[in-house]
Order: sequence, then structure tokens, then C-alpha cells
Amino acid sequence: MRWLNASLLVGLVLTLAAISVALLSLVWLPYHPNIPNIPERMLPPGAPGHPLGTDTLGRDIVAQLMVGARTSMLVGAGGATISLTLGTLLGLWAAATGRMTDEAISRLADIMLSIPGMVTALVLAATLGSGMWTTILALSAFFTPSFIRVSRSAALAVLQEDFVTAARLYGRGRLFVLARHVLPNIAGVLIVQFTLYFAAGILTEAGLSYLGVGMSRPGISWGLMLNEAQNTVGVSSPLALWPGLAIVVVVLGLNLLGDGLRDVLDPKLARRAA
Amino acid sequence: MALYIFRRLAFFLGALVASSVAIFLLIRAAGGNVAAIVLGRDASPDAIDALATEYGLDRPLAVQYLDWIGGMLSGDLGRSFRTNESVTDLVTSRLEVSIPLALMGLTLGLLIAIPAGIFAARNAGRPSGAFVGLLSQVGIAVPVFWAGILLSLLFGVHLGWLPTGGWTPWSVDPVQALRSLVLPVLSLGTILGAVMTRYVRSAVLDVMNQDYVRTARASGMTASQALLQVGLRNAALPIVTVIGLQMAELIGGTVIIEMVFSLPGLARMILANVAAREVIVVQSTVMLIIVFVIFVNFLIDMAYALLDPRTRRGR
Amino acid sequence: MSGADNAIEVRDLFVGNGDLTAVQGVSFTIPAGGRMGLVGESGSGKSMTALGIMGLLPAGWHVRGSVRHDGVDLVGQSDRQMSKRRGRTISMVFQDPLSALDPVRRVGRQVTSILRRHLDLSAAEAERQALDLFAQINLPEPARILRAYPHELSGGQRQRIMIAMALACYPQLIIADEPTTALDVTVQKQVLRILDAAVRERGSALLMITHNLPIIAAICDSVAVMYAGRIVEAGPVAQVFRTPRHRYTQGLLRSQPTMDNISFDAGARLPAIPGMVPPLTDLPPGCPFHPRCAAASALCRTRMPPFEGAPHGAACWHPADGAGEAP
Repeated sequence: MRWLNASLLVGLVLTLAAISVALLSLVWLPYHPNIPNIPERMLPPGAPGHPLGTDTLGRDIVAQLMVGARTSMLVGAGGATISLTLGTLLGLWAAATGRMTDEAISRLADIMLSIPGMVTALVLAATLGSGMWTTILALSAFFTPSFIRVSRSAALAVLQEDFVTAARLYGRGRLFVLARHVLPNIAGVLIVQFTLYFAAGILTEAGLSYLGVGMSRPGISWGLMLNEAQNTVGVSSPLALWPGLAIVVVVLGLNLLGDGLRDVLDPKLARRAA
Repeated sequence: MALYIFRRLAFFLGALVASSVAIFLLIRAAGGNVAAIVLGRDASPDAIDALATEYGLDRPLAVQYLDWIGGMLSGDLGRSFRTNESVTDLVTSRLEVSIPLALMGLTLGLLIAIPAGIFAARNAGRPSGAFVGLLSQVGIAVPVFWAGILLSLLFGVHLGWLPTGGWTPWSVDPVQALRSLVLPVLSLGTILGAVMTRYVRSAVLDVMNQDYVRTARASGMTASQALLQVGLRNAALPIVTVIGLQMAELIGGTVIIEMVFSLPGLARMILANVAAREVIVVQSTVMLIIVFVIFVNFLIDMAYALLDPRTRRGR
Repeated sequence: MSGADNAIEVRDLFVGNGDLTAVQGVSFTIPAGGRMGLVGESGSGKSMTALGIMGLLPAGWHVRGSVRHDGVDLVGQSDRQMSKRRGRTISMVFQDPLSALDPVRRVGRQVTSILRRHLDLSAAEAERQALDLFAQINLPEPARILRAYPHELSGGQRQRIMIAMALACYPQLIIADEPTTALDVTVQKQVLRILDAAVRERGSALLMITHNLPIIAAICDSVAVMYAGRIVEAGPVAQVFRTPRHRYTQGLLRSQPTMDNISFDAGARLPAIPGMVPPLTDLPPGCPFHPRCAAASALCRTRMPPFEGAPHGAACWHPADGAGEAP
């Protein structure tokens, strides 16, 4: 099967696994992820009833990882979805309207891209308070300019195609052309971009939570778990292992999925390969 | 050429103005009454007014903004509310950690990415090339702070070879200072290297398929010579661009690595001041970082003009 | 005939990539100083023949057969050994001079580096020779062009630079792959005349790859016609063009606009060969041209015709021999 490449397959499996775990955590958890259980604290991996052990307060690692998956999926997908929507709207607007609007939107995107996101997120967290929504907002702010750029340049390419010119000459309105001709043709590029920024969002969220300006208890995030683990790494290194591995597996899965989708969806690459 | 420089310069200045306004509004408008926050819940209204007057916080926002920018331009970054230390002093004492960390991290990243990317491109379609590609994919998925935690676990805690945190100033013991930076630089550089390997690989792959590389071979270069002498010179353009794009990544990585290894750099200072609501300190420090990033991008645009004769003709 | 008399002797050349075979047993000889044209539609394998001879195939492609040149067989030579020949005893002019020239190096450097590499000249001597070369190919203001970048030159100027690079070391053979196709019609003739004169002056042999028959008629003395990876007809230009033996060659000749068949009537059309070139992955059995051939018989559908006849040969079971037989 030509469309099924190794990247796509592995990426799809890892991503679906992560999504399943996140969904499962909504209906079933082995233990409460936040209530301390001091008698069972610092159990090593493989302890009866706690396959990955417990943390310094006796909370089950598996349960925390499952809730962490939910956070990662929510924040990653939330940030990527908002920036996809906003960025595509602005990008299409820039591509389809006059020079002035295009110039204004493009330069604005350039400026936003040159501002380091991590530092701005610190400021955002300081002024708005930390938490899931601030994190999603911060991610949307960093990622929107990239979606503007990608959707704009893809849309510009489509707008120059003969069939679009034909549709316009035929008397189709600008909105109709955008919705009917441009959007379906740039959807592939946008889907790939969405997957990659989904992954980037998970990485950034973990970083912010690790710094203490993202998720905080009772919320649980893999970055937060690593933050808590670092205070005890000398005693129990497995605590610092599992959340990191979870991040790597999910981010790797999404990136592979994005690469695999690009090979399938990007007609330019496909043509080169043929 | 002149037109190109003029356009980039205009963008540089525009970016500075836009980002300074954004930062100012974000911190001042979203933060509420600064004086009240600084002094805490129990402060009397008189004390709040007094502080507000002393720091000019009762003036219109536009005036405060211009005052702040005017100060920045003349080298005055403002003072801390609590300690009255000047932000300039606060920042400079932190730079001896942050700048070497960021620069050495970037250098290590490039030292990894350029050879690895070239290797992966030349061996594309072979197992060895695919292996480097996979390594880079995995590296991209590893959060930089987790790399730091793992390295400090291995070399610091288990082997005890290197410090896992803390800082000895250069002036006290340069060797110890350098030792404190080894693990942070290693974590930062490796992850940056993995990210950039991908870009270098695709830049080199792209160049390898260009007709002019074939021409170079047709006129007597071996495949390796054509790639190294003609290809790399052309691949330098996209690679330089990538360095610009990685600046934000580099700063973010530096911030987070400073926290992993408890290094007293800019990031810790910002975090502490964010927690203490030191509005002026945060605002000026963040702006300094942004100025730095935008300036580096400007320099890269200029380097582009030198590397690519096509931009010199005001394209 | 001993190999030393010939610029190149290609025997049973196969060029392929995996299951795909773009060149299927091509043989031809160009004597020293001779000029051969290689014609065919795009996809017929003519460019791959050239790249196979030069050892410049894209990654994944391989070559089989023998290519005698300058006393050695080029097939099986290492990249290092080939690099000592490319640009010196055998050189090539590519189709699109804009993409074929290094965009970030001055054209002077690109020319002088060949002279320095192969002839071991000093920088100053190489530059002097480059200026001479530029003068020979009628470049105006050679000193200025020496310092120019490719994007600062016109298409015709760029292609003349490519020609200068190919000619610089007085090679025994120059392969020109569609050297004028990417140029404006107005400068095509000029560039061609310069190439013709410069090659003649050096006594180099020329392999001219093109789909443009008048070019071949004008500057070549022999011609080979390729179809689906094979040479289907070859011989002296005058004979092949006047009395084509293969139905494909006849079709090609008839589909060329000439003063006789140009018409401004709206309904008038040039006669075209019916059907399409078959994809290399899906060649019909027997003669690959039979689905498009008016004279095809049962034999043509099952067995590949051998190439027969010298000096004017064709690979056809029913060659159109005799002037009257051409339909």
C-alpha cells in the first residue's frame, strides 16, 4: 500500500495509544492521583498494585501519568486548534485581500515569530495567573503566526492556479472561492502543521509546568511530575524517568504521524518521489 | 543592496516598537494596580499612593511607556521597587551565566547538527542515514529539561563527576565555573543539535539535487568535492536562516536549563521577580531579551545579503 | 576500427533504476571530430544516455554496457577517475543555464576553476584564458562578465558561459543536452552558431541531444533516433532525413513545421503521430512502436526487430526502403 509508510504507521499507533489512555482516565483510574497515601510512599516500580511505583506522598505513578496524558492532549490539541483556526483565517484573509492587509498581517506574524515564546509565557503566567487556560492561550499566541505563514503561502499558490482564475471569471465570489477551492487544497498542509504543533504544544506545556508556571496541583501534568521528581531524584530516579518517557513517546508519535501524513498529502513531495 | 538593508532595518525598528508596546501593555494593563500588588493586601491607601507617585505609576500609560522607552534608550532600565537596585546591575551580574550557556549551547548544537545533517543527507535512503534521521527525531521529542535531569542523574548523582547545580562565579574559580556549565551546555546543545540536524539534512538534500551541483561534477569535481565546495556554500543560506529561527528556541532552552541546574542566570531572576511582582524589572529584562533576539535576526538578514548575491540587487 | 580513432564508442548501454530501464541497449560511435545528433521525444532516454556516459546519473540509477573513450571504458570507472575526465576530455552543456550555474559564485570563478583544476594554471593565467574564451564566444565586455553573478546575465549569456566551461580544456567530446531549448527563440540561433563554431575550431566531437530536427540537419553529420529507450534508426543525416526507413522517423519528420506545410488556415494542423509514447514501466511486447505504427504486422506485436543495415540502419521488420514507399 503506497499511502501507508512506516512513519505514518508508528506515529498513528503511538498517537492513538496516547489518546486512548487520556480517554480511559476519564472513566477509570487505578487510584486517586492526588490523595496522599503515606504508608505506601516511594514504592519502587513493580511493587504489588503499583506497577510503576508511587511518589514521595504515596500517590500512584500510573494514575498520575494517565491524568497527565489527558492534560497533554487537552493543552496540545487546544493550543493547536485555536492557532489553526485563527492562523488559517488570518492567513486566508492576507492571501485573498489587497497588498496593504497582506503586508500588515505578514509583518505582524514575522514580529510575533521573533519574540521568544518561553519568556512571554512567563510574563503571561505572571499577569494572568498560571493554569491550563493560560497555557492554552500562550500556546495559541506562539503558534498562530506559523499557521498564518503556512496557510497564506499555500493559499497564494492555490489562488494562482488556473481553475481558481476560471472560477473567478465565472463570477464566483471571493468567499466562495476560498471555501470551495482554496481551503480543500490547503487542508493537507494544515493537517500536517496541526500534528506538528500538537506535539510542540505538549513539549511547551511540559516545560512551563516544569518551571512552575503551567499546571499546578490538583491539576497534573508530566512536566509538573518531573518538577516534583527533581526534588527527590537522588533518592528515586524512576520518578524522573516515567513522565519524561511519556513525553518522548507521545511527541515522537505525533511528529512521526506528521511526517507520514506529509509524505502522503503533500503532492509536491509525492511528485518528486514518483 | 541599499534597498534590502533599508527594508530589513525598517522591519527591525518596527519589530522593536511593536514588541515593546505589547510587553508594556501585557504587563501593565493585565497586571492591575501595580503599587497595590507590590505592597500587598495590608498596605494603606496612602502608602500605595505614595509608591505610585514615587515611581510615576499614576501617570497616563502612554506617558509611562514613553518614559520607560526613553530610559531604555539612554541605558536606564529602571529600579526594583523593593531593593531599589538598578535593573542594569541586576541583569549584568546574571549575564556571566546566561550568555556563556546560550552561546556554548548553540555552538555545540551546530557542531552536532552540521556534520550529522550532512551525513544523513548523503546517506539518505541507506540504513545509516535513516538511523541518524531517527536519532534526530527522538532528540526532537526529548524535552530539554528532561535531558538535563537525566544527565545530572547520570554524571552528577550516580557517577559524581560533575556538579548537578549551583554556581561559582568566574572571578572566584573559572575552572569550577566551567565545570558547572558542562552538563547544562551538554543538555542544551544536544537537543538543539537534534532539532537543527533535521533542517541541515533537508537543506543539504535540497542542494544536492540542484543542477549546479551536477554542473560542478560535470566540470571535474568528485561528488564529495561538489557537495562540500559548491553545495555547502549554497546550503549555508537556509542553515543561517535556521539559526535565526532557533533563537527563540535557544532562549527558551536556556531559561529552562538554568532552572534544572539551579544556575543564577537571567531566567531565575525573571521568575523570582515575576513571583515578587517586580513589574519594572520583569518588563525591562524581558524587553532586553526580545531586543537581543530581534537584533540577532537582523544580523542574520545582513549575513544573508553577504552570502547571497541575489539579495544584493535589492530583490 | 581502433578505439583511438573515435571520440566515443558506446556498446549495449543500459541505464536503469530498479525495475525501470530508461536506456535499453544503445550503441553508437562518434569518430574524432564527428558530430552526431540524438533525437527523440521526451522520455525516450536520450538525456539518460548522456548522463550515463558522463557518470552523472541521479542516486539509485546504474549503468551497464561499455563506453570506450580515450582508451578506457568509462563504465565501471570510479567517481575520482571520472572526475579527472569530466570537463577535460569529455564535457557537457546542460539545458537550463540558470539552474546549472552556481548562483552564489561569480561566473568567472566557475570558468577559471575548471582551467585551474585540469590544466594546473595559476589564477592569473586562468583568468587570462577565461577572457580569451569569452571573446571567442562573442561575450560583450568579457572583463565585466567575469565578475558577474549568473542572475545578472541574460539567458543567452548564461548559456554561452556554460559553453565556455565545456570548451575550456579542449575536450575530445562535448555532449550538449538540449542546449537551446530553455532560451528565447531570438537567441537560440546565435548560441547554436557560437557552439558550432567553437566546437569546430577545437576539433572536438559533438553529441547533440535535441528534439529539434532542423538543428541536427544544420550542424550534425550523423543522427540516431531514439524511441522508448532504443535507437530505432541511425545513419548519415542526409540519408536518414531524405529517406527515413523507420515509420517513427517518418512521423517525426512529417510533424516538423517547414515552409511547405505551414498554413494559416484555422483548421489546418501538422500531421501528428497517433497515440502516445508508452511509459517505460509498461512497454508493449515486440516492437515498442507497433501500437502507433500504420505498417505493424503480427510479427511486430510479438518480436523486437533487430537493428540492421549500415551505414543507414533501422530497427524495423518492415523498413520503408525505396523513396516511393514512404506513405
